[in-house]
Amino acid sequence: MSSKERNVDLAKWSGPKRPYDLIKELVIALVVVTLLIGTLAAVFSSPDERAVTLQQWSQAAPSDFVATATGELAGTTISAAYGPPYNDAAEGLTLGPLKLQKWAGITIPVNPPVDFVITPLKSSVDPEVATASSTWTTASADQQKTWAETYAAAIEKTGDSSKVTADASYGPVPVLATGLLRLAQEGSLDGLLTTQVTPLPGDFTMPMLFLADGGWFDELGAAQHLHGDQWGMMNETGSYPGQSWLWLFSFMYQIEPFKSSENADSQIFAVLMLLTLGFILIPKLPFINRLPRLIPFHRLIWRRYYKENNL
Amino acid sequence: MVALAISLNGPAKFVTWGVISISVPNLIMIGLIVVFFVLALVIPFPSHKKNGE
Repeated sequence: MSSKERNVDLAKWSGPKRPYDLIKELVIALVVVTLLIGTLAAVFSSPDERAVTLQQWSQAAPSDFVATATGELAGTTISAAYGPPYNDAAEGLTLGPLKLQKWAGITIPVNPPVDFVITPLKSSVDPEVATASSTWTTASADQQKTWAETYAAAIEKTGDSSKVTADASYGPVPVLATGLLRLAQEGSLDGLLTTQVTPLPGDFTMPMLFLADGGWFDELGAAQHLHGDQWGMMNETGSYPGQSWLWLFSFMYQIEPFKSSENADSQIFAVLMLLTLGFILIPKLPFINRLPRLIPFHRLIWRRYYKENNL
Repeated sequence: MVALAISLNGPAKFVTWGVISISVPNLIMIGLIVVFFVLALVIPFPSHKKNGE
C-alpha cells in the first residue's frame, strides 16, 4: 500500500453527509420480499417431480433393468468402475498430480455385484434363484466375469433381454438378473436397497447408484435437460426457472478441454476458485484496478453527488 | 389458492444458439434481473428529494 493510499484511508471525511435509515430499508425489503415470495409460491407453486423408483424403472424398461443388473455382475457399470468414495476400481477425480478422491479414501463402500444383486436376491423365495446365487458365489471371479460379459453381449446384440435365447455360456446370470427384475417389479427392491446401510429407509445411496447405472434414468434426465452437457446445472425440472447464477460453471462443461475431460468437476472447480481469488484481489491487480477510471460506472450510480459537487 | 395455482410442471422450451442452450424460464429470469438492475440505476432514491441532501 502506497503512502498516498494510506493517507486517504486515515483522512477524516469532509464531504457532504446525509441521514440514512438502514433498519427502515431492511424492514421494507423484508416485507416486500416476503410478500413477493408468498404471492409467487401461491400462484406458481413449486417443482413437483415425483421421486423415481426402481419399481417404475423395472416396469417401464425391463430389458434396460436386466442389462444393468448384468453390467453390475460384470463390473462394467459406472458405479462398479467409479473408484473412491465407493470402491478401488479407479483413482476417482484428480486435479493434475492431486489424487483428491483417492486420498479421501473409500468412505462409502459399495460393491455393486454383491450390494445391488446378490444380497437383495437373498430375499427371493424362488428356489431357482437361490441355486443360481449359490452357483455364482462359489465360482471364480474370472468365471463370473465371463458369464456376465457373455450375457451382456447377447442382450446388446438382440437389443432386448427377453429375446435372448438360453445358453449355458451365460451361467446363472440370466436367472439372477430376471430374479432381481421380479423383486423390483413387485416393489421389494426399493426397500431392500434403501435399508442395506441403515435399518431405516433413509439412505438412498444404493438405489440411486444402481438407478444411475441404467439407461432409462439417463433418458429421463436428458428429457428434462438436466445433463451436464445440456447446461443441466442451470436447469430445473418442468418449466420452472433454475439456477441461472451457475451459468459460468455450466458454460465450462460445454467447452474443451473440460467437455471431454474425466476430471471436469475438479478442473472447473479449480478454475472458478482461481477466478474468485482474482475477484478478491481486484484492488491489487495492475490494470484491472484502474478499470473504474477507464469505465466510470460509479459516476452513473452516484451521478447526483458528482453533479452537485462539480466533480 | 390451489385452484388458482398455475402449474409449471410441463416441459420447458429451450433457446439454442451454438454452444448456448437456455430455457425460456431462465431467460425470463435473467431478463428480469437486467431490468431491475437498470431500474435501480435510473430510479433515484426517494430520500434524495425529501432530504435534499
